[in-house]
Order: sequence, then structure tokens, then C-alpha cells
Amino acid sequence: MARRTSFIFWREADTNERMMNLSSIATENLAVSYEDNLVVNSLNMQIPQGKITAIIGPNGCGKSTVLKTVGRILKPKNGMVYLNGDDIRRLTTKEVAQKMAILPQSPQAPAGLTVGELVAYGRFPYQRGLDKLKPEDKKIIAWALEVTKLTELEITAVDNLSGGQRQRVWIAMALAQQTDLILLDEPTTYLDLSYQLEVLELLYRLNREQGRTIVMVLHDLNLAARFADYMVAIRCGDIICHGAPEEIMTTKVLRETFRIDAQIIIEPRTGRPTCISYDLIKDNKPSASLKTDST
Amino acid sequence: MMNQLQKNEAHKRKIALRNTVIVIGCALLLMLSFIISMNTGYTKLPPSDTLRTLFGGGTTRENLILFDFRLPRIVVSILVGAGLALSGCIIQGVAKNALADPGLLGINAGAGLMVILYVLFFGAHSFLSVFTLPFLALFGAGVTAGIIYALAFKKGEGVAPLRLILTGVAVQAGLSSLTTVLVVKLADTQFDFVTTWQAGSIWASNWKFVLALLPWLLLLTPYVLSKSRVLDVLNLGDDVAHSLGATVERERRRLLAASVALAASCVAVSGSISFVGLIAPHLARRLVGPRHRILLPTCALTGAVLVSAADTIARVVAQPAGIPTGIMVAIIGAPYFLYLLARSRY
Repeated sequence: MARRTSFIFWREADTNERMMNLSSIATENLAVSYEDNLVVNSLNMQIPQGKITAIIGPNGCGKSTVLKTVGRILKPKNGMVYLNGDDIRRLTTKEVAQKMAILPQSPQAPAGLTVGELVAYGRFPYQRGLDKLKPEDKKIIAWALEVTKLTELEITAVDNLSGGQRQRVWIAMALAQQTDLILLDEPTTYLDLSYQLEVLELLYRLNREQGRTIVMVLHDLNLAARFADYMVAIRCGDIICHGAPEEIMTTKVLRETFRIDAQIIIEPRTGRPTCISYDLIKDNKPSASLKTDST
Repeated sequence: MMNQLQKNEAHKRKIALRNTVIVIGCALLLMLSFIISMNTGYTKLPPSDTLRTLFGGGTTRENLILFDFRLPRIVVSILVGAGLALSGCIIQGVAKNALADPGLLGINAGAGLMVILYVLFFGAHSFLSVFTLPFLALFGAGVTAGIIYALAFKKGEGVAPLRLILTGVAVQAGLSSLTTVLVVKLADTQFDFVTTWQAGSIWASNWKFVLALLPWLLLLTPYVLSKSRVLDVLNLGDDVAHSLGATVERERRRLLAASVALAASCVAVSGSISFVGLIAPHLARRLVGPRHRILLPTCALTGAVLVSAADTIARVVAQPAGIPTGIMVAIIGAPYFLYLLARSRY
């Protein structure tokens, strides 16, 4: 009843609610700090469901911090994180693990562990006590290995794999978790060009064929623009801009986010915006001379 | 594709079979060590006499040697080996560092300091020491571990493995130097007692020690085994463990507490035997790989074999006094460890 008394308030509440339902993750006034150092001040971010979202921003801008906080690895100082509309603090960590998987940057597998064994750990959120793997678990593990083209490597030790293969193993583990939502912190770091594409194309397929929501922090703007449906540009813990790649990959937004002067074209092969060249923005301050004064 | 799946399945079965064989082999080795150990010592008992005595047909003297001297010592060495190995395995898993051992949590240092303080105040041969020393050692180890945990704890991120290791090393060094200062003040008899304890001799073992140790092991071992999957997941690093839905800090605290209790109860009975907690998990990991469900039992067995064999050898060499078991373990363990270091790729 109270809603009707103020039409504007009602509409606002309605759109908010709708946004919350459509987004798999939403943050509300999120603040995160390391000790006394406030990294994220008051972040309101919505991640659309069933899409690939790329978070971009300069080094130290807080993008990994945001990802880890959303993935409940870090505890926020203030504010809320909603997972499919639920307050994430109200869910047990195992419940969250059945809905959301998060892969940190370059994780390490214990020496001697095989691919199959590592992927089997993805079933952890569904097991209790001394349970052994059930036939159903084994089926899911076999499926995760197949999708990531790892079946042939199942009995190989993870240490013996190449970087790209290793990243695929971790993604397979996340898949065995059977979550609708997968967060990845720079999944292409330390990989060479073809492996980067291999990983991103795998994520793309998972999104398009199975409707999984993918959220990733990416350094490479062009790869982000090529694979993402939705981009969030962050600087100093604040969202500069969010929207489709065409809205983010503009000279204006990149200037604000990275302090660069970027030249953007639409890349004919992918039809996505691409930054072909950029310069640092020259400010008026005289830069320190590189020459040593010998006089 | 089908072919590949069958190949994988066959391989997995082979591995499972190999692991079973390894565990059974370790168990047989332990039995062998047990039997040899019963026969050796200052007074040699031939196997036939040992067997006869075991089944109740021994002379008073044989009964005394076997049941009152040898058996308790053997049982204690097996229990201590298993306990220390399990404890080391947990710490290496939780700290994600293959060079971690129970000493890292200040167990040896804390227990040692308490032993010295006790001897300083009450003397080495007071009537109470046999009964009180284990509890005091336990207390000292527990307090030290608590201090290390508290110092390594950081709000918001809990106890990061590396910080735990560094704090442990620092506190351990501090306590050891304090111990050294106190050792200087000891009288001769007290000094002997303390150094023997520090060298890890399974001293004056009798059935009371077995009874003091057994409940801890019976209580903690099933608990630790039930946590094998949690240990697996913690091994992947804090972030991945979080992602998989482990309550990282709580599990770590519980596992460390179990590890401290295991090691401290062992150290209290056996004195400071330091190498087992480091070597046995290494050995077991090489044998059966990093999954704790199979690693933990194997580890307990290798630890038990290691200490009981070391104790037997210690009794044979340098008779009649014998070398403290801890030193024997180190004599066996150090070369193996150097071999490991030389072979490792890092």
C-alpha cells in the first residue's frame, strides 16, 4: 500500500527488483579494504545472467579484489553481495560452491596429482563425510573432462602439462562443480596467443551452449571486447562505465580508465571494437629528463 | 574415445591395486620390524623363546624382559612413529609446504622448555616425573602452538601458510635459545636427563606410557582420516579451497589443533624425535601420491616402521646403553632427505 502513495518510489523499487532478478550477481555499496587501505569504496555492480562479462581496468584498480569479494574469498568491509538475489552471507559456503565457482589467478596443483584426481575435487561441495565418489559424480567428472578435451590426459600428472592444458584442467574442475556461474581471475595470464584463444573459446562455448554465466577479469582489452557481451571498466575501485563492448571500447572511456589515448576500429574479422594503437596521455607537467647532467 | 576411457579405467585400477599392495607391504614391514625388535636387545631372545614367552610359557626372567621392558617400548615406538608422521602430514598439507614438520608449530621447543622448567624446579628423579612430564610437555606444546597461531593470525585473511611457517620458525628459535640458557644452569644429573629427552630416547617405557598415548591416537586418528578430503582441498591453496566450499580458516584451525595434540602427546612420551614428521610424509607421498585418503594411512605406517626400526637399530648398536632413538631416526633420515633434495627439480 505504501508503494502506491509515491509513484516514483514504486517504479524505482520495481526496476531495482527486476535488475536483481536478472543479474546473477549484484553488489550494493560494496566496500573492501586491505587492513586500513580502502581498495573499493562503494561499488554497485550488476552482472547479467547468462552472459560473458569482462572486468577491465588498470593494475591495482581493485578488479581482482572485487572478483574475490564477490566470490566470498575476501570479506567486505561494508555493503552487500547478492547471488541470484540472495544475500550471500545467508548461504553456507557449500551452498555457494554449488552455485558459483571461482578460479584464482594461476592456481597451483600439488605435485603428482593427476588431471582426473584434480577434476574430481570439483565434487567437494556435494560430498560429505567419508563419501566416495558416486556413479553420478563420476559421470559428471567424465563429462567435464570431455568438454575440456582432457579425457586423453586424465591419468597424466598436472605438473607435466603445458600452461594452456593446465588452465583447462582448472576450468574442468570448476565445471565438475556444476555451477551456473563461473568467475575467473585473468584466466589467460602467462599463456601464449593460441592458448589464450583456446581458453577463451572454451569459455565462450560453455556460455553459448550451456548458458553458463562467465565473469572474468581480463588484461587484454581486445580479447575482452572480442569475447564479452558486457564489460565493466573499473578505476580506483569505482565503475567508470559498463555496457556492451561498443560502449566501453571508446576513446573516451579508455582515456578515463587507463589514462591512454586509444585509437579504436571495428575489427572486420570479429566485428568487435579493437584498439589498434594507443599513446600515453601527455600532461603539461615537464617529465624528468632521462639524460644525466654531466656538467 | 571408448578405447581411451577403457584405458583410463584400466590405469586407475592398476594404480588402486598398486596402492593396496604398498599399504599391505608397509604393514608387513612393520610386523617384521616388530618381530625382529622383540628378539634384539642386551639379552638376546631367539625367535622360538620369544614365541613361547608370548603365549605364556616363559620363565620369570623372559617374561620380565619381554613384557615389562621390550614390548611396551616397541609399542610406544610404533605409536609414536605413527602419531608424529600423521601430525607431520597434516602440517605439510595445511602449510602447503613439504618442508614443514611438527617442530614448526613449536611442539618440540614448547615441550622441551616445559621439561627443563620442571626438572629445574623438581629435579630429574622426583617420584612424580613419570606421570606429570607428559602432561607438562603437552601443556607446553599446546601453549606454544596457540601463541604461534595467534601471532600468525591476521584479521580478514586468517593464517596464511607462509606466515605460519615464518612465525613458527621465529618462535621456535626464541624458545630454543631460552632453553639453552636454562640448560646451562642445570646440575649434572638434571643435565643428563634433559639432553636424553631432547635427543628423543624412548626412555623408561612401560605400559603406563602406552596407556597415556593410546587414547589420543585412538581419538585423533579417525578424526584426521575423516578430514582427508578437506586436507586435499586445502592443498590446492586458500582461494581454490574457498571456491570449493571449504570453511578454510575453521578447518585449518581444527586440523592444526589435531596435529598439535598428536605430536605433543607423542613427544611427551618419547622425547623430542624430530625427523619422523618430516620424512615419513615425504616417503608416503612418493609411494602413493598426494591424495590424503590413501596418503594418511600410508604415512602412519611408514612413520611406525621408521621409528620402530630406528629403535631396534639403536638398541643393537652401542650396547648396552643404546643410542637415543631420535638420533637414530636422524641418522637414517638425514641422508634420505639429502637424497630427496638432490633429486627434486627445484
